[in-house]
Amino acid sequence: MQFRKAISEIKGLQYLAEELDLKSPMGKRFLMDTDMFCSEAELNIEYGLLDQIIQAVKADQRVISDIQSKQSHLREIRGSVDNLKSNLVLDDVELFEIKSFAMNCHGVLNLQKELKQVVIELPNLSGLIEILDPQNTGIPSFYIYDDYSLELAEARKELRVAKSTNGDSDIKLEDLFCKAQEIESKVREEICTKIRSFASDLEIAIKKLAHLDLLIAKAMQAIQLNFNRPELVKESTSYIGMFHPMVKHELEKQNKQYQAIDIELQKSVCLITGANMAGKTVVLKTLTLCQYLCQFGFFVPATSAQISLVDQVLLSVGDEQSELSGLSSFASEMMNVSKMVEESKKHSNVLILVDELARTTNPVEGLAIVNAVADIFYQNNIRSVITTHYSGLNSYFRKLRVKGLDKDLGDKIITQKNINSYMDYSLVEDNTGEVPHEALRIASLLGISKEIVEGAQNQLNKKASKEEIL
Amino acid sequence: MPFLKDIKKYKSLSIVGLEKNTGKTECLNYVLSRLRDSHKQIALTSIGIDGENRDQVTQTHKPEIELSEGMMFVTSEIHYAKRRLFSEVVDVSNQTTSLGRLVTAKAIHPGKVMLSGPANNTEIIRLIADLKTKGVDLTIVDGALSRKSLGSPAVTEAMILATGAALSANIPQLVFKTQYVYDLIQLPEIESDLKTKLRGIENGIWAIDEEGEIKDTGIASVMMIKNRKDQLFQYGTDFFVSGAITDQFLDFLKNQKQVSEIKLITRDFTRVFANPETYYAFVKRGGRIQVLDKTNLLAITINPVSPDGYKLNSEELQLALESKLQVPVYDVKKIVGADAVS
Repeated sequence: MQFRKAISEIKGLQYLAEELDLKSPMGKRFLMDTDMFCSEAELNIEYGLLDQIIQAVKADQRVISDIQSKQSHLREIRGSVDNLKSNLVLDDVELFEIKSFAMNCHGVLNLQKELKQVVIELPNLSGLIEILDPQNTGIPSFYIYDDYSLELAEARKELRVAKSTNGDSDIKLEDLFCKAQEIESKVREEICTKIRSFASDLEIAIKKLAHLDLLIAKAMQAIQLNFNRPELVKESTSYIGMFHPMVKHELEKQNKQYQAIDIELQKSVCLITGANMAGKTVVLKTLTLCQYLCQFGFFVPATSAQISLVDQVLLSVGDEQSELSGLSSFASEMMNVSKMVEESKKHSNVLILVDELARTTNPVEGLAIVNAVADIFYQNNIRSVITTHYSGLNSYFRKLRVKGLDKDLGDKIITQKNINSYMDYSLVEDNTGEVPHEALRIASLLGISKEIVEGAQNQLNKKASKEEIL
Repeated sequence: MPFLKDIKKYKSLSIVGLEKNTGKTECLNYVLSRLRDSHKQIALTSIGIDGENRDQVTQTHKPEIELSEGMMFVTSEIHYAKRRLFSEVVDVSNQTTSLGRLVTAKAIHPGKVMLSGPANNTEIIRLIADLKTKGVDLTIVDGALSRKSLGSPAVTEAMILATGAALSANIPQLVFKTQYVYDLIQLPEIESDLKTKLRGIENGIWAIDEEGEIKDTGIASVMMIKNRKDQLFQYGTDFFVSGAITDQFLDFLKNQKQVSEIKLITRDFTRVFANPETYYAFVKRGGRIQVLDKTNLLAITINPVSPDGYKLNSEELQLALESKLQVPVYDVKKIVGADAVS
């Protein structure tokens, strides 16, 4: 899976990608083209680099910001390098871009020497700069300098003299200009031949600089948002103080607190239950986000984390756009879940996350589906999470319940606005298999029309008394 | 020539022709020739694609812009490749125009170049600011008054207007048309608080209520006014019109009973596309127009020769304009001649 695809599916990931302060166009492209890390060794190397940058930022931010400033002057020169490789003659604008790129690259190379340790080894382009800066000015601007050819210098001088004396006809001046231009073209060709040998170094430099840009942006974000390096493990994935950065940011904007949670996922199925408004979906989405962040080489939003890498993350949140394919939401969910079941039967190394499985059908069959699907995950030892409202789950499944609202709130008045501060979002192990029946309570707290709440309560009372009679 | 002293006070100047062949390029070349010895770093650019094409249509003589050594210029990649001078690439923009990216360069040798520049106001303002950081003292923008262009020369601090026989072969008519543009250029600027609020608005007609709050009237453009009349005055009589103020719109407003309270705000004078008759009738009945960006008109230059060969009396035209407008008027060709003699 490429990052490009992942952000189109995971909103929280897109949010973080947009917040990343990438300075160069190649940095952005590099991020989009990143493939998921599936090897612990490779990811640990990447994390090592990220750690180095974070240390460097903490020790002396100036060098890093100087590097970033150089990065922000980098331009996309892929096209010019391709032209160079395929033996084409570059124009002045392209040569200017290559010169300015090489100078910035050299600047970054020198700046890195000021760090405790060079993070990314860059190719040395000083030979290239020497050719494109014959006057050794250190300024990136470029033209075919007189220094390249005596003949060119002479021709230009002749033109200049002719112009300033004003005596010559336009035709004569045009002739002189064309002559000088022709020599210029020849010189340009020679320069291109000379710098062609640097094409592969330039390609390497583009990649390395892009990588460095991304590392710095990730490091800055990790510091700013309190992300931490997860430990890569084989067994249980677990988080302490896990949070969803986008939701947290949203709450902070409204002066509300985000309650971070702890969770552990074994290599088996885990059902998350809890009342409405209890944040089950957020837990699921945060787990998805963290797994992706980790496997795309980011640190994760948690105080500490142990993560087991997977080959694939399979997510069903039940809001797929299915109208166009002519499927009902139930049908498209089932197709999706069926794929998950296929994968789990293959014993693939996957993380499966399903939000409110079978919520769009009747509770009797819905529950049956939940138990059946969970059973398959259970038997195949698939690391998976399913959130649900249904009671009557098989007792051998591991179940986590969101604590939810305090039973006894006294005379506190709860409204849609402050419900967040009375809700305890932490997860507890729950063996009952019963799901809290708080829908009506929450609905009335939210200020939903009384007719609905009272009507529903009457229905429940009638049902209860009937059962009593029976 | 006195307006050249004034030029030095400003960081940006546009030169705008009221019609094709009103001598804009001659005016520009004259200004450049006079600034040559001033030791100021000059940069030259244009709004969108310059008039090159339209002169191919009229097939009249169009002098190219002659740059002297050391002068900077900004043009698109395509025009840069066609330059008839030697120059040093100083920068290349990240944004692309229809003619490729914009190249900032410095002339190594004197010579001619075709200019094309950013096509909208934000980009022009950004470019002028960027050139300043590159050591440019004065940016000269070759401008055009066009309803098609999103970019307006009014974003520069100062302006020189070129008018002439190409606009009208009849002196009173020519004076009337020039005075209209002159009057529009003098439209007052709004206070800067409101300016920042309005600048980001891209389309539609917006009302400004008594508290200074900006409200969307729900009318997408002045073209829709016929069917949405009732919605217009819901928040009062002050409006910001993001697009063009058309003849039809002003004509509609001038006939409303609230006309004397109406205040229209537009981006700059180039967004008023009403006939002079309609505009003056609107103003006469008490309507007002204000602008976000006001420029300082330094001078008007005249070209008494029309493209079809008709020639007006230069002194007579100059006198007629000067008596009506509070701004110096020059015939550039005549002063070029006079300069050569002196």
